[in-house]
Amino acid sequence: MTTEFAPPVLELRKATKVYAGVPAIEEVDFSLRSGEIHAIVGENGAGKSTMTKVMAGVVNLSSGEMLVDGHNVSPKTPNDALRIGIAMVFQETSLVPTMTVAQNLFLGQERYFNRLRGIYIEAQQFMQSLQFDVDPTAVVSLLGAAKKQMVEIARAVLHNAKVIIFDEPTASLTPEEKKYFFDLVLDLKKRGVSIIFISHALEEALLVSDRITILRDGKRVVTDDKDTFDRARIVKEMVGRDLSQTHYGQRKTTVRQQGKRVLSVQNLRMAAMVKNNSLSVFAGQVTGVFGLVGSGRTETFKVVAGIIKRDFMHGGEILLNDRPVRYLVPAPAVRDGVAYVTEDRKLEGFFETKSIAGNIYLGLLAKLRGKRDLVSRREEGESGEHWIKRLNIRAISKDVKAIELSGGNQQKVVISKSLIQDPELIIFDEPTRGVDVGAIAEIHQLINQLADEGKAVVVISSYLPEIMSLSDRILVQRMGKVVEEFSSPEATEEKIMYAAIH
Amino acid sequence: MIDSILKLTDRLLGRGDAAITVPVFDGPLKANNVIEAAEVLDSLEAAQDLATDGQHLFVANGTCVLRYKGNVSEKIHDFEAPVTAIACLPDGGIAVSLAGREVLVVGGDYDGRRWGGSGDIQFYAVNAITASTDGLLLVTDGSVGRSTAHWKTDLMSLGASGRVFELNPANGNIRSVASGLSYAYGVCYADGAAWVSESWRHRLVAFRNDHSPKAVISGLPGYPSRLSPAAGGGYWLTCFVLRTQLVEFVLREHSFRKRMLKEVEPQYWIAPALNSGNTFLEPMQGAHLKMMGVVKPWAPPRSYGLIIRLNNNGEILYSLHSRFDGKNHGVVAAVECQGDLYALAQGSQRILKLPLAEAERSARA
Repeated sequence: MTTEFAPPVLELRKATKVYAGVPAIEEVDFSLRSGEIHAIVGENGAGKSTMTKVMAGVVNLSSGEMLVDGHNVSPKTPNDALRIGIAMVFQETSLVPTMTVAQNLFLGQERYFNRLRGIYIEAQQFMQSLQFDVDPTAVVSLLGAAKKQMVEIARAVLHNAKVIIFDEPTASLTPEEKKYFFDLVLDLKKRGVSIIFISHALEEALLVSDRITILRDGKRVVTDDKDTFDRARIVKEMVGRDLSQTHYGQRKTTVRQQGKRVLSVQNLRMAAMVKNNSLSVFAGQVTGVFGLVGSGRTETFKVVAGIIKRDFMHGGEILLNDRPVRYLVPAPAVRDGVAYVTEDRKLEGFFETKSIAGNIYLGLLAKLRGKRDLVSRREEGESGEHWIKRLNIRAISKDVKAIELSGGNQQKVVISKSLIQDPELIIFDEPTRGVDVGAIAEIHQLINQLADEGKAVVVISSYLPEIMSLSDRILVQRMGKVVEEFSSPEATEEKIMYAAIH
Repeated sequence: MIDSILKLTDRLLGRGDAAITVPVFDGPLKANNVIEAAEVLDSLEAAQDLATDGQHLFVANGTCVLRYKGNVSEKIHDFEAPVTAIACLPDGGIAVSLAGREVLVVGGDYDGRRWGGSGDIQFYAVNAITASTDGLLLVTDGSVGRSTAHWKTDLMSLGASGRVFELNPANGNIRSVASGLSYAYGVCYADGAAWVSESWRHRLVAFRNDHSPKAVISGLPGYPSRLSPAAGGGYWLTCFVLRTQLVEFVLREHSFRKRMLKEVEPQYWIAPALNSGNTFLEPMQGAHLKMMGVVKPWAPPRSYGLIIRLNNNGEILYSLHSRFDGKNHGVVAAVECQGDLYALAQGSQRILKLPLAEAERSARA
């Protein structure tokens, strides 16, 4: 039960964390009440992740203090935090990919003698109690993003934490899975668990939270009851400017005239994920591809880009500019003008320890393989500066390591790495996942600009408003194939969801 | 030797030429019901082709040529043989093909000019004629040795003997433009070139003097037929039958295909048709196509109605359809006249009239 007078279960006082002389959060006051759902929102780089990492013992405060139930604490490791009842579900999953779901659930809590069968049964019962449809014997690396997220959530719940911090928990969940998740969150609240909830989907923050704290540039701007906020106010407080008309808020009303057919996928098959899939992509248009997790969207376009292979026998055909192509590796696809901007930027998108300029230049080298005898540092620097300016990548210099950037800026680096190849067909897979609202607007603007320039653009997204605000054509995929096509004016959320589910 | 090994590997692995894939109807080819909903101007059992002089619609029906004024038709010519193709000439005359073996000019400055028959050149299946503004004629001869009625045999025999000729009514000269085509069915002057429908290769090819042939559009999901100019620039292209994986498969299974040609009646072949659903003896029977009275959306169609609107570069702008649960199938000709599009659906033996603005709006919706 939330009351004004109950002592906060968790409190930060004048919390400051400095990285290399730059404060990530600065004198932030924050309190979490017992049984409360508290949303923290802010642009990427606003300090949300740092603040929650402090609470979860991942990083330590430079100054200020942290109190749990009124006692001063200073967790040095996530295990310390767990012992005092604080668990965190990370945005980038922290599961061991080679272990099974059950092994991951009980990792660190194993008894001296374990019987695998017993663990599986226990895990199965536990997952069922949460209504999570995940096989406990499945190896984590074989699970999709949504199921990995479920395991992360289940692990936090299993540890009986009294404070659970969710960092972008719904980014990879389907609408139905989201509903389960919110039910679970409300159930946890009923049990007296306090929840900190970080999300870029502002509607979700407005839907489930009791209070909302907004951070901007490492400082707390405002904390207030949910009822005092609406979407426009949140966005305004987050970015310090009115952005509500520049992205998801607006439906697309015009359709670009399609140019020539750049890509034709015919009867494509890839294991159990893509089943006899056929589609076309045209120049000068944004083709949105919507589908639930597991509908084979990403796999279809990964086959197109040569990242994964289609079925060896009777795998169908891919025609690029009416020429049959079959890429076994991505390099020839890149040379033929196909760029794929990955959905998992951290794993597949960039080299963490390389600079921004270095990452972008690698994109060019991939395109020009065999045409450059020597790597030119000057060319690297110039191209880095050009793309930093063009995509408005916010960094101190071009030599900053990619890992040190916020999610939105990392995404811009990944996009630059593809655009420097001057592709004809650009495939954006979840282009704004884990990206703040300011960067979303910029990325959307860029996608529109590319289509206006005559490029064939594909946007794969699980977020319907994104699909509807960007796409000239909307393809809906279900069970491995395109089942419906809508032009932008005729599409409604209901129609698209109906096609995606039924 | 290497070629044979590659072909064998492709056949084994179902790739390359052996990939049984069919382009999908999406983007500007997205299916609608515009042709099915069109007004029926007339029902004619033996209609073969349409033409227009910009004012009136002309229809080749059996041995006659009909002229339509509004919804009323009048017979203006009657010939000794069936008319398989017709074109209006700039000087007011018309050119017709008789039984696919002769081309004859009637009326205008060159009344009575005749090619083929007992002349130097022999035609077999003239199925389309078009006139240029300077009075020259282009004709397509679908196949050497098979008449227009035997197009299905030509397809299932992998025929590749189609020809295109340019005829000069002023002096009677004839010039071969192309030969060895996989069924030539439809031709049009476009940007100084002759655009020809090469049906069995699902493409439009541009033939220009002193240039090698160039594909204008390839990978069509149907077998293209006649072409006609559109008033706002660009062209109307009809696809008289649809490609299906089943037929593509049969076309690659040579021993089966040859036995089928030899032993089975043509109407029961696994082959495209201008109309279907008339008998349960068809290869895809009614029970396979319908469940609880509803046509299964995944059932392979034998017949279909499709008209494609192209721009000046041959890119598809939009398309009009009669889906496979409809009747107005086998559209072999479409011409634009006085703001309306007229289409000949041989499958239903109907002349259809589509108000152009409305059709375009419906097709683009």
